[in-house]
Amino acid sequence: MRTNSRNFYLIPYVLWIALFVVTPLLLVLYYSFFDIEGHFTLENYRKFFTPVYLKMTLSSFWYAFLITLFSLLIAYPTAYLLTKTKHKQLWLLLIILPSWINLLLKAYAFLGIFGTYGAANSFLEALGIGGRQILFTDFSFIFVSVYIFLPFMILPIFNSLDELNPTLLDASNDLGGSSWVTFKRVIFPLTLDGVKAGCQIVFIPALSLFMLTRLIAGNRVITLGTAIEQHFLVTQDWGMGSTIAVFLIIAMVFIMVLTGRRKRGIL
Amino acid sequence: MTDNTIIRFNSVTKKYDNDPPVLKNVSFEIERGKFYTLLGPSGCGKTTILRLIAGFTEPSEGDIYFNGRVINNVPANKRQVNTVFQDYALFPHLNVFENIAFGLKIKKMKKADIERKVKEALRFVNLEGYENREIKEMSGGQRQRVAIARAIVNEPEVILLDEPLSALDLKLRTEMQYELRELQRNLGITFIFVTHDQEEALAMSDEIFVLNNGKIEQSGTPTDIYDEPINRFVADFIGESNIVPGTMIKDYQVQFAGKLFECVDGGFEPNEDVEIVIRPEDLAITAPADGKLNVKVDSQLFRGVHYEISCYDSDGNEWLVHSTKKATVGDQIGLYFDPEAIHVMRHGETEEEFDKRLEAYEEGSYEN
Amino acid sequence: MKKIRKWPAIYLALIFIILYAPILYLIFYSFNSGGTMYQFEGFTLDWYRELLTDTRLLIIVLNTVIIALLSAAISTIIGVAGALAIAYARKRRVKNTLLSLNNVLIVSPDVIIGASFLILFTMIGLKLGFVSVLLAHIAFSVPIVVLMVLPKIEEMSTSMIYAAMDLGASRFDVLTKVILPYITPGIFAGFFMALTYSLDDFAVTFFVTGNGFTTLSVEIYSLARRGVSLNINALSALLFLFTIILVAGYYFITKRNEKPNGMGVRQ
Repeated sequence: MRTNSRNFYLIPYVLWIALFVVTPLLLVLYYSFFDIEGHFTLENYRKFFTPVYLKMTLSSFWYAFLITLFSLLIAYPTAYLLTKTKHKQLWLLLIILPSWINLLLKAYAFLGIFGTYGAANSFLEALGIGGRQILFTDFSFIFVSVYIFLPFMILPIFNSLDELNPTLLDASNDLGGSSWVTFKRVIFPLTLDGVKAGCQIVFIPALSLFMLTRLIAGNRVITLGTAIEQHFLVTQDWGMGSTIAVFLIIAMVFIMVLTGRRKRGIL
Repeated sequence: MTDNTIIRFNSVTKKYDNDPPVLKNVSFEIERGKFYTLLGPSGCGKTTILRLIAGFTEPSEGDIYFNGRVINNVPANKRQVNTVFQDYALFPHLNVFENIAFGLKIKKMKKADIERKVKEALRFVNLEGYENREIKEMSGGQRQRVAIARAIVNEPEVILLDEPLSALDLKLRTEMQYELRELQRNLGITFIFVTHDQEEALAMSDEIFVLNNGKIEQSGTPTDIYDEPINRFVADFIGESNIVPGTMIKDYQVQFAGKLFECVDGGFEPNEDVEIVIRPEDLAITAPADGKLNVKVDSQLFRGVHYEISCYDSDGNEWLVHSTKKATVGDQIGLYFDPEAIHVMRHGETEEEFDKRLEAYEEGSYEN
Repeated sequence: MKKIRKWPAIYLALIFIILYAPILYLIFYSFNSGGTMYQFEGFTLDWYRELLTDTRLLIIVLNTVIIALLSAAISTIIGVAGALAIAYARKRRVKNTLLSLNNVLIVSPDVIIGASFLILFTMIGLKLGFVSVLLAHIAFSVPIVVLMVLPKIEEMSTSMIYAAMDLGASRFDVLTKVILPYITPGIFAGFFMALTYSLDDFAVTFFVTGNGFTTLSVEIYSLARRGVSLNINALSALLFLFTIILVAGYYFITKRNEKPNGMGVRQ
């Protein structure tokens, strides 16, 4: 295609990039230098490095780490076993299906299940352990998050396992590798890209989903996302909200670099 | 240049960015109604020539003439040539009829005419009644035919075929070779066929251009090129050859493998160093006493129609022999060949110089 | 295929049960006449009846659908243009830059997108409501369409374009008669993904919507924050049904095109 027709394709798309990708990011950066009265200041950044915000950031990362870790531990065997099933594409679709259901509805379901008289407590009582407060605890927050992110972790791992050339496994067996050695030396390294992709897909939203903390964790857990929402929509301190957003973006870029460039798209 | 010339390349060079040129100062003429083959190893520039003719790329230097007019900057959609692509490039979202009618519809031809012409084109390629098939329902050979039909239906003056048979299996390929040749004769238009398969080139062409490294090494009829390759590359690339160093003592007398032989070549300096080519099928096995050369059988392979026997003479030259008779490894045998079987090549001779020499000594031989 | 042994089967079954249990739990209690999510007193369709006579909710559903259809249609047009621009960019550097910018909104957390769009719309003086939500949805759907369409363009052999030009097609003919028909499955998949992203979005809408305008996700959030109400259960049952129909439709589209265009998960 020659220049003129290429420009024709480019116009709406480049406009979109300029208006909705570049400008918003610059605006966030710009606003982070203003206080609530609209004066230019570095106060927001100073405030971010006070123990209150640092502790919040640290705990947000800690929760995101736990959520990613548990998702990975559950997702990897699931993806592996899925590749061994007969109609694996159909089973995969069934695993992914819940991810298509509105996240809020799933969170809402746990309000019922984890409620004081909910199914979880009835189950515990039936076991003789006795009922207890489940909702609004760290456990419920992590459990529901893992539940929600699980399909996103399974999919990339499944794809990389599925792409694995089966003759490589035969080759490893042929060379005398046991199942464990084959897994450790062949399967896992070759599916590392999928694992990284999954961690990236889970970790970033885990830092930022505010509706889960609001609905499931009460106000016990405050993530970066919750803090941003709080500043923008409750206290109206856009400057501080933007400052936290800037750090969230930095964290995001850092994680993306850490988990490496992937060959395929994000979806 | 004759009236019959349809395409002419005048010192055409093609370069991409800062890479070395893929075509170097190439000139040739293509005549109406003939079957041409561009033959050469991959990367020799044959496909570039095709793309230049089709209009997919423009020459960096030099001119391309079509019917006497320079067409360097005429876009592909305005040229009177059509291409059959290596991967066929059939449109998967269209069926057979729609694929073939694509060019006609763009010309805004009447519906009835389109239908008639598509039917005719399908008949030409032996696919009558396949109009409504989807492309993915067709076999490789059938797709090939659809691609050809899609090209000929536009009645171009030249059809370009870019290794169109390379994706087919051996049997189908041979079949299609006959059909393509037949089709070209029936249509009476120019075919330019690109291939790296020398057998294909020899079997189908009126004229072959042998290319190497962005240059035309030799052009001529298949027999010319097979019998009188001008250099080691052509001799090696077309068919199997025994190439050994020799000395031209005088016209019609050559020395190699330590012996003097009578030959039919001339026009050399006295005692000029040359290269000798003898085709393996021109060597016959005899008893050691009856042979012109004495060699020892080193190894032997059964090739189906013949045995391929590798022998060495006392100078250490390898001689490949194609024989229907079996030899015994380790035996001393004789090799017999006619003087006509010896072809002498001058070092670094171009095609022009070769032609001139050939003319000169042939004239001389008439005087005798 | 290897035979599935006992433990792996149990593990997979457990994962499936955990994934589907909350959803089925929700749907089960939508038929509860008792009004709670823990004591099933008797079967009733009252909640559905109430839902279907709630005109306010029906308007919200209508809003959501209109936003989804409009934003999907517009973002598909921009996204296809963008995919063409990326695919036919001559310089590798331009191509990579466009792709990276394209992916920014895909990897960005919803909170960041929401907050930055809120700043953007406020800056240009746009009244928060229908238009701002529509623009936001178009903005975050464009890169998804690009990612769905791009592989389709790239898988198309360039000789096909040459073939069309060879047969006399102008550049416009090549676009309308060859490229667009060829990538139609990708365009449909992109439109479909944009549709579901829009239908499902909560966080971005939550930030950029004003007082008078609500979508279904936002409404569910505010209802859920008030506690359990079996209206929501009925709603989720209907949405679940709707999702299954959508997924089946999507599955059908990709199956018909033989090569699936990458299965999408959403968040």
